[in-house]
Amino acid sequence: MKSSILQNSRYFLFSISLLLLLLLLANWVGLNQEPVHFNTQVKPIFNKRCISCHGGVKKNGGFSMMNRAEMLRPNESGKPAIVPGKPSESELMRRITHHDPEERMPFEAAPLSTAEIATLRQWIKEGAVWGTHWAYVPVQPVQVPSTKGFLGLFPQKNSDWAKSDIDKFILAEMQKQGLNPSPKADKATLLRRASLDLIGMPAPESIAKAYLQDNSPTAYEKLVDALLASPQFGERWASMWMDVARYADTKGYERDPGRQIWHYRDWLIRALNRDMPYNQFLVDQIAGDLLPNPSDEQYLATAFHRNTTTNDEGGTDNEEFRVAAVVDRVNTTFEGLLGTTFACTQCHGHPYEDIKHEEYYRVMAYFNNARDEDTYEEYPLLRHYPTADSVKLDSLCKWVAQVSTPQRSLELYTFLKTLQPSIYSIAGDQFVNSELYDTKTLVMRKDGVARFKQVGTYSATKLICRIRPHTEGGRWEIHADSVNGPLVLDFQVPSPEGGWRIVELDIKAPSGKHDLYWVYRNPGIKEITQGGIGFDWFHFTQPFPGKDDSDYAKYNADFWHLLNSKPPSTPVMVESPWFMQRKTHVFERGNWLVKGKEVEPGVPKILGTVDSKAPNNRLGFARWLSSAENPLTARTFINRLWEQIFGMGLVETLEDMGSQGSTPSHPELLDHLAWQFTHQQKWSIKTALKNIVSSNTYQQRAETSPQMQEKDPYNRYYARYPRVRLSAEQVRDQAMVLSGLLSPKMYGPGVMPYQPEGIWASPYGNEKWVQSQGEDRYRRAVYTYHKRTSAYPSMLTFDGTSRNVCTARRIRTNTPLQALVTLNDPVYVEAAQALAKRMRYAGTEVDHQIARGYYLALKHKIDAKKGAILVKLYQKALAKYQADPKLTQELLGEQKVKDPAAHAALTIVANAILNLDEVITKS
Amino acid sequence: MEKSKINIYQEAILSKAELSTRRLFLKQCGMGLGAVALSQLLGSCVPGGNTTGINPVQYDPNNPMLPRPPHFPGKAKSVIYLHMAGAPSQLEMFDFKPDLAKLDGQLCPESLLAGKRFAFIRGVPKMLGPQAKFQQRGQSGAWVSDILPHFAELADEVSFLKAVHTDQFNHAPAQLMMQTGSARLGRPSLGSWVTYGLGSENNNLPGFVVLTSGGQNPDAGKAVWGSGFLPSVYQGVQCRSAGEPVLYLQDPHGIDRDLRKASIDAINEVNRKTYEEFQDPEIMSRIAQYEMAYRMQVSAPEVMNINDEPEYIKEMYGVKPGKESFANNALLARKLIEKGVRFVQLYDWGWDTHGTSADGSVDIGLANKCREIDKSMSALILDLKQRGLLDETLVVWGSEFGRTPMQENRNGLELPFKGRDHHADAFTIWMCGGGIKKGVSFGETDEIGFSPISGKVSVFDVQATILNQLGFEHEKFTFPFQGRPFRLTDVEGEVIRAIV
Repeated sequence: MKSSILQNSRYFLFSISLLLLLLLLANWVGLNQEPVHFNTQVKPIFNKRCISCHGGVKKNGGFSMMNRAEMLRPNESGKPAIVPGKPSESELMRRITHHDPEERMPFEAAPLSTAEIATLRQWIKEGAVWGTHWAYVPVQPVQVPSTKGFLGLFPQKNSDWAKSDIDKFILAEMQKQGLNPSPKADKATLLRRASLDLIGMPAPESIAKAYLQDNSPTAYEKLVDALLASPQFGERWASMWMDVARYADTKGYERDPGRQIWHYRDWLIRALNRDMPYNQFLVDQIAGDLLPNPSDEQYLATAFHRNTTTNDEGGTDNEEFRVAAVVDRVNTTFEGLLGTTFACTQCHGHPYEDIKHEEYYRVMAYFNNARDEDTYEEYPLLRHYPTADSVKLDSLCKWVAQVSTPQRSLELYTFLKTLQPSIYSIAGDQFVNSELYDTKTLVMRKDGVARFKQVGTYSATKLICRIRPHTEGGRWEIHADSVNGPLVLDFQVPSPEGGWRIVELDIKAPSGKHDLYWVYRNPGIKEITQGGIGFDWFHFTQPFPGKDDSDYAKYNADFWHLLNSKPPSTPVMVESPWFMQRKTHVFERGNWLVKGKEVEPGVPKILGTVDSKAPNNRLGFARWLSSAENPLTARTFINRLWEQIFGMGLVETLEDMGSQGSTPSHPELLDHLAWQFTHQQKWSIKTALKNIVSSNTYQQRAETSPQMQEKDPYNRYYARYPRVRLSAEQVRDQAMVLSGLLSPKMYGPGVMPYQPEGIWASPYGNEKWVQSQGEDRYRRAVYTYHKRTSAYPSMLTFDGTSRNVCTARRIRTNTPLQALVTLNDPVYVEAAQALAKRMRYAGTEVDHQIARGYYLALKHKIDAKKGAILVKLYQKALAKYQADPKLTQELLGEQKVKDPAAHAALTIVANAILNLDEVITKS
Repeated sequence: MEKSKINIYQEAILSKAELSTRRLFLKQCGMGLGAVALSQLLGSCVPGGNTTGINPVQYDPNNPMLPRPPHFPGKAKSVIYLHMAGAPSQLEMFDFKPDLAKLDGQLCPESLLAGKRFAFIRGVPKMLGPQAKFQQRGQSGAWVSDILPHFAELADEVSFLKAVHTDQFNHAPAQLMMQTGSARLGRPSLGSWVTYGLGSENNNLPGFVVLTSGGQNPDAGKAVWGSGFLPSVYQGVQCRSAGEPVLYLQDPHGIDRDLRKASIDAINEVNRKTYEEFQDPEIMSRIAQYEMAYRMQVSAPEVMNINDEPEYIKEMYGVKPGKESFANNALLARKLIEKGVRFVQLYDWGWDTHGTSADGSVDIGLANKCREIDKSMSALILDLKQRGLLDETLVVWGSEFGRTPMQENRNGLELPFKGRDHHADAFTIWMCGGGIKKGVSFGETDEIGFSPISGKVSVFDVQATILNQLGFEHEKFTFPFQGRPFRLTDVEGEVIRAIV
């Protein structure tokens, strides 16, 4: 057989050419043996089989595989486990292949597979080259795949389709999987899709109409631009960010009382609508207060990290919950903004990444010097003065700058805006006949004493403080260094009438820092239990400047007017001045009571370094976080945008891009988009979104087939547009739009739409859900009042979160309780009634009315079969309501309509329309 | 025609289920698709052993309540957890301390207070003797006070844990600790873990039902039945014994059951057409969920209706129809368990007896609260027993912490009523049924009930024991989150062998 072929020269020639061709092909395809790739081949074996005993937590036998240096170090046996280039001399190889199960690794577990052993042997042979996990390597420019095919000569199949860079990356992977892109979706579908994605609800009528009537090639682009420019854009994307920011209108824990922080939500909406560059968006939120002469907007942005929960429960340790808030800030920053699991390093070194226990606390040091201390009032607060008072404040500051110094002017501005820097009375200790009342404020009784440790008095001559005398008479003294030490203050306490007040007192404070002793005497008090005086905060300062200036009296009066006014306020970040700085220690095994060594601020080594010219504080951290060199920031955000649009991130685990996170489906595309975002799009969120929704990948049809399902059940290769159920917010907003009930009102305090009775039942809380009146009942979901211990129930059912902590990703579920919401919740029944009203405008024909309802919802003509099903439902309902006027009356309530039975029947159809899979789903 | 529809439907569900489980399985193994060999697919996640501690539950996102087997055959199939929010005083109910009576009114020795923190006690408080009379009960001789006369008869049915401790002394964090294994917000609750692990036997009802009484939610709010990082489908569904049993369950005004049925049928019919267009299996799941919603509308009110129970049962529990009460909830718990609900959690609020008012005192208020629960919780045990359900239903009674042997002196003052402060170091929990030994008292506190001296168990031990009864090795029962496998018991917990 063989010889007969060889004898045939034609066969021989053919074979030779075939061989040549194969060689060429092999070269092209890259069949030649490539070196073992650490990240994709070796590290997964380590993570899965080795690292739980030889990693960041345990280092059994003194051996750790966290990084190359540790791995090559001699372990307890005195020998290194790995000798690069020499598998046969490597203890690791001996142990993983050992025949004796007592000796063999992994210990007390199944041996590694032959393939795994071969991989490790080859890897050691090649020099045991270490690799950094992709997500920790700074983003580099990426070569966009060519759509030119074999040998670069012939255009590839579908190359016409792959117009944008995104499409080219997507097509390259798609073709590897043997898939082809789907055709472009029709205009109606694209309209609904882009509207839900970009503004979170159906497009306003004017935008929709303009697009559907525009047959020019730029129609779609104009639609996208119009949606990006509409004010609803900010509302939609703020909703997303509020999960990351764990935004809520309450404080959390037992009493879960209200918190006025909605100005931050409004800031978000404005910033997003303005298309504030994402890097600035981050800097302002992390450290807006540390920018030079911060504006109100910059202060407001820092409320991002004041969305932490606080505990007002009696007897709580305020320091414990202050620390808990700081820890939460670190975790939220890493999980939400950096897509990295960091929380585990609170207790020990990272089990899988090369991040050390100590590095957690170095990051914490950046966040550890804000002025918040779990006070009941939630200090520090940004005071929102009414316009007239803002004008007063401005001229006051200008005047101070003239008569004194710009520095003094800034000090007074900061104090009037934030009441900082102040010492809170909860910082006291060594109480005698005095205590923290309900752990909220200091109350002193007859002969009471309390200590304040290491207060920076620096020869201050004035003390401004907030006090509340409880009893007539009494003296308040402050002594330095001991109860009998030098007298700093001797003050005749005024009458209790008038409750809390702010007073300014003359003091003789020593220079530097001292322990100060508060002493309260009141011989008039007979009952030892009677409260004498209460304290809230203290501010050591100098006299109001400009004593000799002719305007002194006016401005001093303005100062007191402003200080005593009670404007609304928002919790914000304010950094402690240098003399109030806290030291940061490692917490041994994560326990805040067991402090280890002191640490300086810094970022984990694997994530680069902070610019040495940047300030060594939260602002420096924010600059590092928001730099294009940060390997994670842009990748995390682009991944989040992608997830919002396509329902799943390029890395599925939005919260973890580390080596334990999901493998990216399109790593080069992710890097390309991140590079474009930071280097070409100037961090513009709108530009990045436009880029994504303009791709052909985005504009495909959503229809699938069993073949496609089989090849790519989760649509990881985007050979079709993914159908995704609407978010909790979108479900509500869409119903409001379709029914015509939606109020376009923007901003303001959280509103309370209909909620069933008895949902709120917080112990010791007096707050009630009081249904909003008028248009506030029909606002967008983003404005719904969010109570942490009892979030709005219908949104929770659609996978909304409680926002106690950062939620980097919502997991979508599909449950019968969701059906009950859109079927029966009075909010949706009311929406159905209103939708029915709109449907009746389509004329008297029932099928026209139904077609109209369907069209309103989906911008599509209804398919005849579907129409028939709904008409049948209508007729059944009509018969029922005609026969039962009482039932009709129950459904329609107060409404006065023509032909009530018909209207009721149409309401049933409208309710069905709002429940259709097509309507609940984006496709 | 009808037949082929069913086929498409079933096929879609099945294939989606298969793919989902496989995908989840792959994800939880932390591997890419390509890296998995068939042998591994068919075998366990980590062949031959569990080196990483990862032991994923293979649930189907499209049918997440499908019943699943645990690690080993558990003795209990379901749990009824009675949580007394606010912390009842063990010293008036179960932990009898005659020596404390002798010390009544004396100042607390300073040595006892050194290094301790209390929620409200300041300075040096006085000791407070037991405010109830105790007797030994039944064969086991367990001490139960006279304020629980019905329950006292059942002392031989239960195991007492008399030296439980926690590290939280404020209600909200301690309730979170007890129910989620962490004092901070954000972790899944015990009930969520159990339904995630086992699914539910009844697909017309939620798998994890929460019932509250006492007029308030527990202090930590709905987070104590939240699903944390588990899919939200596993969170507890709060059902109510008054009003709508499940939110939005009732047909709206003016839409009767027939019309509701007709509209769900129409919705599903249209959805089937949509499925023909898109072939998206998720549509078939939605159809199934709408059908289930309808079944729930039909069956939940039936289960939640206690009026149709025979008079002697109503009398046995002492129900108060139309009101929200612990007795109603206890009876509902039995009904729900009978119907195959996996986890029923009762919270009864109002046990915080500081001595600031008569209701909040350990003599008057506590006795009143006990009267509210004594008959009905005893009835629950007897009723489960007479129906043969007690063997497979684990009943747990407890709270977030206990109370101090000292009388509370809030703000350093003497209070008008007799009260005790929060005490994290030692308190009592009892369990019964579900394979728990009968008539055991495990653990002991010192002569004043301040500190454990033997059989000290932690919150994590209690959780580990509950999971053990259901067939879970608590150390291997995990969910991958933030790059590591999380478990209810964190890095602690030991099964309390003495009572199982």
